[in-house]
Amino acid sequence: MVAPALLHAALWIGLPVVASVALAFTKYDVLSAPQFIGLDNFREMLDDAVFRKSIWNTVVYTFFTVPVGMLLGLLLAMALHTGLKARGIFRTAVFLPQVTATVAIALVWLWIYNPGNGLFNSVLSIFGIHGPAWLLSTSWSMPSVILVGIWQGIGMKMLIYLAALQSLPKELYEAASVDGASRVRQFFSLTLPLLKPATFFVLITSMINAFQSFDQIYVLTDGGPANSTTMMTFEIYKSAFREFRVGYACAQSLVLFALLLAFTLVNRRMMGGTRGHS
Amino acid sequence: MATAELNKGELLRGTHKPVNWGRIALYAVLTLVSLLMVVPFVWMILTSLKTPAEIASPDAGLLPAHWEFSNYVEAFKAAPFATYARNSFIIAMSHTLINVVVASMAGYALARIKFRGSDLIFYCFVGALMIPTYTKVLPEFLIVRFMPLAGGNDLFGQGGSGWLDTWWALIVPGAVTPFAVFLFRQFYLDLPVELEEAARLDGLGEFRIYAQIMTPQVKPALTTVALLTFESSWNNFLWPLLVTHTDSLRVIQVGLSVFKTENGTQWHYLMAGTTLATLPMVVLFLIGQRYFVQGFATAGLK
Repeated sequence: MVAPALLHAALWIGLPVVASVALAFTKYDVLSAPQFIGLDNFREMLDDAVFRKSIWNTVVYTFFTVPVGMLLGLLLAMALHTGLKARGIFRTAVFLPQVTATVAIALVWLWIYNPGNGLFNSVLSIFGIHGPAWLLSTSWSMPSVILVGIWQGIGMKMLIYLAALQSLPKELYEAASVDGASRVRQFFSLTLPLLKPATFFVLITSMINAFQSFDQIYVLTDGGPANSTTMMTFEIYKSAFREFRVGYACAQSLVLFALLLAFTLVNRRMMGGTRGHS
Repeated sequence: MATAELNKGELLRGTHKPVNWGRIALYAVLTLVSLLMVVPFVWMILTSLKTPAEIASPDAGLLPAHWEFSNYVEAFKAAPFATYARNSFIIAMSHTLINVVVASMAGYALARIKFRGSDLIFYCFVGALMIPTYTKVLPEFLIVRFMPLAGGNDLFGQGGSGWLDTWWALIVPGAVTPFAVFLFRQFYLDLPVELEEAARLDGLGEFRIYAQIMTPQVKPALTTVALLTFESSWNNFLWPLLVTHTDSLRVIQVGLSVFKTENGTQWHYLMAGTTLATLPMVVLFLIGQRYFVQGFATAGLK
């Protein structure tokens, strides 16, 4: 009974991973047979300024969307955990962007960022401010993309934190209150350590998602202006489907995989090492 | 009397008719945050109901002066959004059905049947969960392109276009997800052994135990997998973008992005189409919120 799923996974996940690794060492344009070229793709990557830029952009994007989103998500979860009446409505509102297609969301934000009559510049003009051409400016494009990333990702982070908060043992807090621990003290010496597994989970999954952002870049900026918002995923797409250099694209995708794996392992070590204290 | 008791309760808690400023501030902040989350959606719908003149005018108010519901009819004429939405729906439905059936079978077998290599197979699925999309998507494309004996290809996948631009390519590769297998396995693991043993004593075969005895017990898992599969399939962009070129096979997300490229300034139509692409998921989420929450809290992955 496991056979259909197993065959499917073998053909559409197992084989592709093996093929990715194999093709990374070849020159391949789909039309003619792949040609083994050893480490040339990886060597070329070292000199590829645009790809280096895309790695940097991916890291910057992740660095801002993930921790900021996590902090906001945690604060929101704690606000909702206080037993408010209209909790359901707030939770739904915050989570809404998460179930909506990134393409649709990016199109709405493209219109919000529109330099002429977009919502942002319309609101700014009420205060007499002449807003920039957000996505067309090399200095504003990345912050604009990051803002969309934070906005869309908050819901998920809040949700996981909320679930974790609800499962915390109430007795501990009662004991802490009896001992005279203040609310702030309780947060730092009880809540935060107890939330560590949730934090690890949110961090890993958000990072994996952030590293693989593609749809919003495709719609919002096409990697521009002047490669200021191009990401690793976008470079992989460009190499394979605009330049037809599939071997090179596979090599780039391996670098993406390796970076994700490395980040995950580092996080696990950092978070796991202190788990015993909580 | 009741009032007396109530007062006593208030006295005990030391809250005698207080104005709870902290709580009011909390409500205010949460309302503001919720507004920030919802405003883009409202802006999308408002734009879809304005005239192009009004959209272009810098002095126009936020609300449409005249609600142009005909924009939706016009948008459907400007681009085949109805076809795109239908295609998305067919694909999402197929993915949902296949995933629920195939993944639940696998999850059941891995959870309840002892057979050689079952642990190894389980770890393979867990490993598959961690493979980033971008590491597998290029070879997946190549497999589709060189699918033997399809789309004019010979036995070795040469000569034609394989599954490119076919329903096969849109449906088959993404039909079963390791996450669903994983989730089903967890749910089947929690079922009591007695249930299974009783069925076995009654002489039921393995497949009937799965289909008639055990699976009705994991309905929440079925709903969760169904909703999450439908959602991610409807929202998928990259894969349909790669494997289809003809307009008649385009899904709604790709259709929107193409419409944006070709008619970038027709915001009223574009926002009408975007509303169409967004609304089904919003409705689905509002109906099945409990299951979405459960599923996302397990997966964390979009």
